[in-house]
Amino acid sequence: MPVPPNTLSPRPGAGLSRRGALRSGAAATLAAARLLAPSLFVGCSLGIPPRAPKVRIGLLHSQTGPLAIGSTSLRDVELDAVERFNAAGGILGYSIDPRAPDPRSRTDLFPKRAATLLDEGAVALFGCWSSASRKAVLPLVEDRDSLLFYPVQYEGNESSRNVIYGGQVPNQQVLPALDWLRSGPGGERKKFFLLGSDYVYPRTTNFVVRKWLAGTDVEVVGEEYVPLDTEDFTFVVARIRESGADCVLNTVNGAGNIALHAAFAEAGIDPAKVPLVSTSVSEDDLRSMPAADVAGHLVLSSYFQTVDTPANVAWMADFRREFGEDRVFGDSMEAAWCLINLWKAAVEQAGSFATEAVRQVFAAGIGLDGPAGRMTIDPATQHATKHFRLGRVRSDRLCDVVVSSDGPLAPDPYPQVAFPGWKCDWTKGGLQRGPEVSIDG
Amino acid sequence: MPFDLSWFYDIPTARAALLMVGAFVAFYWAGAVIVRPILRMFVRRAPGLNDLIGYILSCFCVFYGLLLGLIAVTAYQNVESAEQNVTREAAALSALYEDVSRYPDPHGQDLRWLIRDYTRYVIKYAWPLQQQGIIPEEGTIRAEALFDRLLDFEPKTPGDQILHAEALRQINHFLECRRLRLHSVRAGLPRAMWIVMFVGAFFNILLCWMFDTRFLTQLVLGGILAAYLGLMMYLIVDMNQPFRGEVSVSSEAFEMLFQRMLED
Repeated sequence: MPVPPNTLSPRPGAGLSRRGALRSGAAATLAAARLLAPSLFVGCSLGIPPRAPKVRIGLLHSQTGPLAIGSTSLRDVELDAVERFNAAGGILGYSIDPRAPDPRSRTDLFPKRAATLLDEGAVALFGCWSSASRKAVLPLVEDRDSLLFYPVQYEGNESSRNVIYGGQVPNQQVLPALDWLRSGPGGERKKFFLLGSDYVYPRTTNFVVRKWLAGTDVEVVGEEYVPLDTEDFTFVVARIRESGADCVLNTVNGAGNIALHAAFAEAGIDPAKVPLVSTSVSEDDLRSMPAADVAGHLVLSSYFQTVDTPANVAWMADFRREFGEDRVFGDSMEAAWCLINLWKAAVEQAGSFATEAVRQVFAAGIGLDGPAGRMTIDPATQHATKHFRLGRVRSDRLCDVVVSSDGPLAPDPYPQVAFPGWKCDWTKGGLQRGPEVSIDG
Repeated sequence: MPFDLSWFYDIPTARAALLMVGAFVAFYWAGAVIVRPILRMFVRRAPGLNDLIGYILSCFCVFYGLLLGLIAVTAYQNVESAEQNVTREAAALSALYEDVSRYPDPHGQDLRWLIRDYTRYVIKYAWPLQQQGIIPEEGTIRAEALFDRLLDFEPKTPGDQILHAEALRQINHFLECRRLRLHSVRAGLPRAMWIVMFVGAFFNILLCWMFDTRFLTQLVLGGILAAYLGLMMYLIVDMNQPFRGEVSVSSEAFEMLFQRMLED
């Protein structure tokens, strides 16, 4: 029987079964996809917007407790500055991530909060208010070799490679004020009463003051220290009256100033005859006090809101646009703004966030035109050059500048009259120690 | 959620929906090519099983559809409740701002600043964190500062006492709404629900693979079902976290309040 030819040799195309066709189709699709994918999906993305890498900084300001009255505004100034940095593209392509925990005005909490910030990768810390808080944080930043930018006026007698000091020291604030108060325009005052909160800043400042006044015709007729949370100053005012003082150098810090000024007003003491000359009261603090209590008293500061510079006008306008037209400015706020902007400039100049690289830029000298005028960081001491200004409080709780220095004064954290033999120059070997000085004795 | 889908919320809405639908359809089609031939071996050997699968699938779809519907409603209610909490928080803050505006200075001014500061923080810092599923922490500090400062005030006149009592009532209401908002940042469907939902979707697809139909019909009809499942899943995933994704609770209530505070 003849074999049908189609059972031996398949018809052309008859061997392509459905499964075979599927296989071929799939293989062809995969091959085509492989070939075309690079050009088809070029530029394709899920549409997730790119995020700039972040660098964290720590803002160490009390937002509750007695020190919150002044330090909360410093946080606002720094946040405002950081927001502007980020809006302009960040620093070195990094977005700055500010963290602001609350040390609650407790000295023991400052180093704890600082440690947490550094553990979380903060490249620099901005803040501290009282000297006690700064000194509590100091060992930590030195141990971790980080940088602390301290924006508040302080007593001097300190220098650290890990701190950039943006506030005034006595030779830029208290000492020129003493000379002016003794002079004719200052009222030729001869009897000074030294009043302060009971911690390191007032005690050291008053130590320097006593040394400065020794040998002059001025007599220190009393010296009193009160706890930081004191709310009743009646007994202090009574002692001032008894002493016959014609001037009170006030180094009370925080909310206690409200009660102090109230007690002064209640006692009917005329500020023209016995003014409170305050070192730790700014226009930002004054708004918390009734105008009748504060008008006529004197304030020592590097910056006043009434300082008429283009930089100040622009700064206040920018800040108020964000935080409200009724916001008031103070000396430490200005210093905080200058310090964070100087840090930005230093990081950009160094091309790095690393502590040593940034410190090298400060060691070479760096400055900016701040709201209060030119501010530079002295490479020798890492302290800021500052203007001296003495203001009289007006009835609207702003200050008229009564006397000011011709230009920024160089910082001297160790006035030789108080700390003989002590000197700091980080460009030439660092701290030169003199004989130990006992502040209390 | 049982697995991290945080990146999903960063994708623009249309693309995210397309991605989810595409993933479901691709999964279905891949199964139709790879798994279906194996499953069909069982189906072919049992005549009439196609009808049985159809019957089971329709029953299953009723229950699964109900489940999906209820979950979608729950997710939507979560979003709505979060939105209401945000509106109430902003309203309480606004009322508080009005109350403290009548306080004597410096208390009144301090409190106004603190309320503005809190509102600004919520808009500029808390919201972006919430959109990443992170509970913002520093708002608590600001709320505490506000509460502390309010408690510092000692009313001296009967009028001040009434005003202070009302301000305290408002701040308590505000704190309650704030707590609810923070709670809803990470609120979402429980893990068990996600497992049931995804396993249910898988069974749905599995039953479709078992149908003995032409290959092209299988791809088209099954693909449509898979696409709809994907779309439903997208809806639930998107609404699961009220503050995440493009379609989420916005900070508009706070922004309007802050703008009004700045203009005052």
